[in-house]
Amino acid sequence: MAALATEGVYSLGHGRFVEPATYEGSEKVSGVVVGPDDIEIHIVARYPLPRPIPEIAEKIRERVAPEAGGRKTRVVVDDLEVAEDESL
Amino acid sequence: MILLFAGLFVLGVYTVVYAFDLFDYKLASLPISDFSSGLANFVKNVEKGTLSVATVTILVLLAVLGLLWFIAELRPTAPRRVRMGSGTYVTRGVVEEEVSTVAEQVTGVLGSSVGVKAKRSPGAQVDLEARVRRGEDLKTINSNLRSTVQEQLSEKGLPVSKLKIKLVEADPRQTKARVQ
Repeated sequence: MAALATEGVYSLGHGRFVEPATYEGSEKVSGVVVGPDDIEIHIVARYPLPRPIPEIAEKIRERVAPEAGGRKTRVVVDDLEVAEDESL
Repeated sequence: MILLFAGLFVLGVYTVVYAFDLFDYKLASLPISDFSSGLANFVKNVEKGTLSVATVTILVLLAVLGLLWFIAELRPTAPRRVRMGSGTYVTRGVVEEEVSTVAEQVTGVLGSSVGVKAKRSPGAQVDLEARVRRGEDLKTINSNLRSTVQEQLSEKGLPVSKLKIKLVEADPRQTKARVQ
């Protein structure tokens, strides 16, 4: 949710060949892979980009940090979503 | 591939049947005595060290080939994603899409195709092929294209460590745009 609320993030990514996801009990969170030492967050960036991708990634890291429990956060941009597509 | 696996499976079944003398099929009945005696002679010659120069050369070549193959297999594979900085990655598709969009905005470029290779160090290696009308000033288009792509991509934070541009003169009827 923290990543999704970041400006420039259209949605969480679904990967290309393998779906990145975390399974907890009966729940599945797509686009986030939580490992013992790190977290991988896959996103689809909104296009045109409101700011450079490294800045978007940094904002996501800042937002996710309180929930990350000291894990290293990696941000992967899976795709770009053109804003005009939303009105289709 | 399926045919290969099917063939290997059938071969395996035959091997088991002949090896255990099942259903009256015996290994001794197979016409492989010439092959096995030839192989035995070859091994004897290897042990005695009486091989011909040609055979030794072939064996050395095979050994070198095997070593090279082994070294090639040890080399780590290229990363799938383009590294941007510490802990940030983009898929090659995103870089391809962006380079293509930017390239097609440059005056004179009617279409493009982009290949992106991820590297271990930050930044991507981009191979851009731009299609232009015959008779255009290729030098000017090349320089415009290079500066525009590098400028726009760095604005968006997409690092390009190496940009190769190839301009191809094409028939406008076969390109994405006819006029630019």
